[in-house]
Amino acid sequence: MFGYRFVRRETPLWGGQLRAFLVGLLIALLAGAVLLVLAGHSPIDVYSKMFSSSLGSTRAISSTLGRAVPLGLAGLAVAVAGSMGMWNIGAEGQIIAGAIGGAWVARLFPDLAGPVLIPAMLLGAVAGGALLALGPAIVRSRLGVSEIITTLMLNEVAIRIVRYLVNGPWQDPASNNFPVAPILPEQSQLPTLFERANIGVLIAAVVLLGVGAFTARSRWGYELRIAGSSEQTAEYVGISLKQKVLTVLVLSGAIAGLAGGLELTGSADRLVEGVANGWGFAGIIVAALALLRPSGVAAVAVAFGAIQIGGLAIKTQGVPSSIANILQAMILFGALAAAVFGTHTLVRSTASTSVSSTTAAGADA
Amino acid sequence: MFAVELDGIWKRFPGVVANAGATLRVRPGSVHAVLGENGAGKTTLMNVLAGGYLPDEGSVLLDGKPQHFTRPADAIAAGVGMVHQEFRLIPTFTVAENVVLGSGPWLLSKSAIETQVAELADRFHLATTPDREVWQLSMGERQRVEILKALWTDARVLILDEPTAVLTPPEADELGRITRSMADDGRCIIFISHKLDEVTSFCDEATVLRGGQTTAASLPVADLDAGRIAELMVGEATEVSQRRNRIEPVGDTVLDVSSVVVTDVRGRTVVNGVSLDVGAGEIVGIAGVAGNGQRPLADCIAGLTRTTSGRVTVDGNDITTDKPSARSAAGLAYVPEDRLGVGLAPRMTVTENTMMRSYRRLSKGPFIDRSAADAETDALIDTYNVKVGQKKSPIAALSGGNLQRLLVGREVETNPRVLVAAQPTRGLDVQGVAAIQQLLVDQAAAGIGILLISEDLAELFALSDRLLVMHEGRVVGTFDPDDATRADVGAAMAGVRQTATAGITVEGA
Repeated sequence: MFGYRFVRRETPLWGGQLRAFLVGLLIALLAGAVLLVLAGHSPIDVYSKMFSSSLGSTRAISSTLGRAVPLGLAGLAVAVAGSMGMWNIGAEGQIIAGAIGGAWVARLFPDLAGPVLIPAMLLGAVAGGALLALGPAIVRSRLGVSEIITTLMLNEVAIRIVRYLVNGPWQDPASNNFPVAPILPEQSQLPTLFERANIGVLIAAVVLLGVGAFTARSRWGYELRIAGSSEQTAEYVGISLKQKVLTVLVLSGAIAGLAGGLELTGSADRLVEGVANGWGFAGIIVAALALLRPSGVAAVAVAFGAIQIGGLAIKTQGVPSSIANILQAMILFGALAAAVFGTHTLVRSTASTSVSSTTAAGADA
Repeated sequence: MFAVELDGIWKRFPGVVANAGATLRVRPGSVHAVLGENGAGKTTLMNVLAGGYLPDEGSVLLDGKPQHFTRPADAIAAGVGMVHQEFRLIPTFTVAENVVLGSGPWLLSKSAIETQVAELADRFHLATTPDREVWQLSMGERQRVEILKALWTDARVLILDEPTAVLTPPEADELGRITRSMADDGRCIIFISHKLDEVTSFCDEATVLRGGQTTAASLPVADLDAGRIAELMVGEATEVSQRRNRIEPVGDTVLDVSSVVVTDVRGRTVVNGVSLDVGAGEIVGIAGVAGNGQRPLADCIAGLTRTTSGRVTVDGNDITTDKPSARSAAGLAYVPEDRLGVGLAPRMTVTENTMMRSYRRLSKGPFIDRSAADAETDALIDTYNVKVGQKKSPIAALSGGNLQRLLVGREVETNPRVLVAAQPTRGLDVQGVAAIQQLLVDQAAAGIGILLISEDLAELFALSDRLLVMHEGRVVGTFDPDDATRADVGAAMAGVRQTATAGITVEGA
């Protein structure tokens, strides 16, 4: 159309992920500086505020890590499915389902001691997320129904369910008709790790690194990647695609559900409608930035968390929230575009190349 | 004056010369056949005429005027239409919408275009239903929609690329009438085919390609007989390369296929009662024009396609219903025709590709022993002389010859009793072809039974101990490569019935 098209690089750029992210960040910061100057702010002041509030102190770092927990788990959920070539767009709903599962456990057993109640709530959350992903997993593996559509639609279902619960049966009688569930028992809250970060950071880190290493090194992860590369090759090697699709999507939902559980036992003290807070969708960006590799998600999640915390902080410094949002979006956009250039390159299209990509595969050249 | 004149067309692709000075001249108002084996350069030449490829050298003339097509739209504007083997229709659009797509009025009135398309169809006696959606149509009906698309843009030259491959015999006859009515209207039709009976009944003249060159230009079909065409397509017997020394005596039967029938997803019978056997140390070749059931037969032996009826045994064990991995364990190795799409994972690394058959063995608990896998990869690369840049780079970066050495090597390393190799040398350069052929010969010498499916007759003659010919899903002839001629085999490939002569036995149809 413009005479150019994207072509996958035969070998990814050296140090692709990290370098792409840094280059994208730099370009975005330069472009953002122009925006800030036009809006009458000093880019240096704004950027130093963003940095100091997200990475400049232990308190700042604790905020960033806390933010990285749901981002990282949601990103992992998307990346695990993505390494098999599937798109779980439903992490948002699965986080909600996880929070509902966790809150339900707390409602049923409010008097359990913390060390029992919290793991039980987290298990409830994992089950909730997995349950919401089970339907899409079954229809995809049995009937080939696109998981993109089904997981996306179930987001709406999960939102309606939590809305019903906090407006109806689970509404806090003491809330003056506010759509919130009752405050959770005190022992359901995770202990603090340092400053604003709680033990959930450690739990998420173990899951992120564990699942990342497992998919990179295990037989299971290897089979997953073969299936993601070519379904026919997987069949030829003797891998059961149906079973893989089922387990991967359910695992993906379970991981997103855990994010909901950690929210409930961490920064949220009760179930509310907005418990997922857009993290499920942000997880798609995190996974894309990690090039759909589970092992890359943790680092991206921390960086993304820092950008979000920094963006929040400058809103309190007189930078209008619209400018702060645009700045965040530009940084993400730059990083994302750079990540694409890490694995793809632009080439001029000619008559022969444009045909070879569409028809020559079947031609008897 | 010719309606179409292609002169001295050269087109090279990496590692392949598809057209080497090919020539084609077509008279207006005629149906012109273009014949040739797979890989002869027919489709490339047609893509040059239809604006798909820019030729490296040579000229394209329409009605005597030189043309320079850089994209298909240029060719369409100049009046060249092409109906590809795989149809390019939008299933959820109606016939009329598909016909006018890309060239219709800016504002579509459904009833108006339906009327216009119906009128156009009537003019050429094309039976169609403009208001039906394409997914509801049979293959023959879809093809008529493609033809209507070309007529809608008033194509003076219409290229049909193997149009009868997807048609039932009555549909093929109908197509013959349609092409004739278009030719009578002054248009010229270029008809690519493998099937000689169609050429003689539908066409006026024929041009034959072999190895990218024109071996016979514009022969009147009335003067042709099937034997002559087969000879022009496959070349002279003198081209046969050095025949390998036969292994005597052949060992026990290691692969036995009996009365196998395979039905494809559309319900067509693509393998129709094939029986064959391969002994230890024997190479059995299967010749045939592409699309006569060789690929589904190979896939069915490998377990990638369900066997509708019949039986497959390896070393006496019935594997008919086994999964591919169980077949591998039973001693079957498979080099699929589609190397990158079926045999390998293009975006994964060299090591990840070489360990596909051994990772289960190399696993300790849930984890794969990566250093053992790396060691095996090094050994494989060394043994089979695979040139790789980095073991960690995606395998798609390797050349075709190296990919195939790696794939064949990986399969041979499973210590199989039988190796099924489908088009193992297609698309490789000369050294690559020689290396793979040598590998196969060595494996046979080591006692493996090999089923070699190929469209390269020279290769089959050089390597096979027995040569079977498939046509329309059946084995139609068994030849002894020492006695048979290429013309005999070529005629069987083209579906010409053969009377039994020395060294030839004819089975079935």
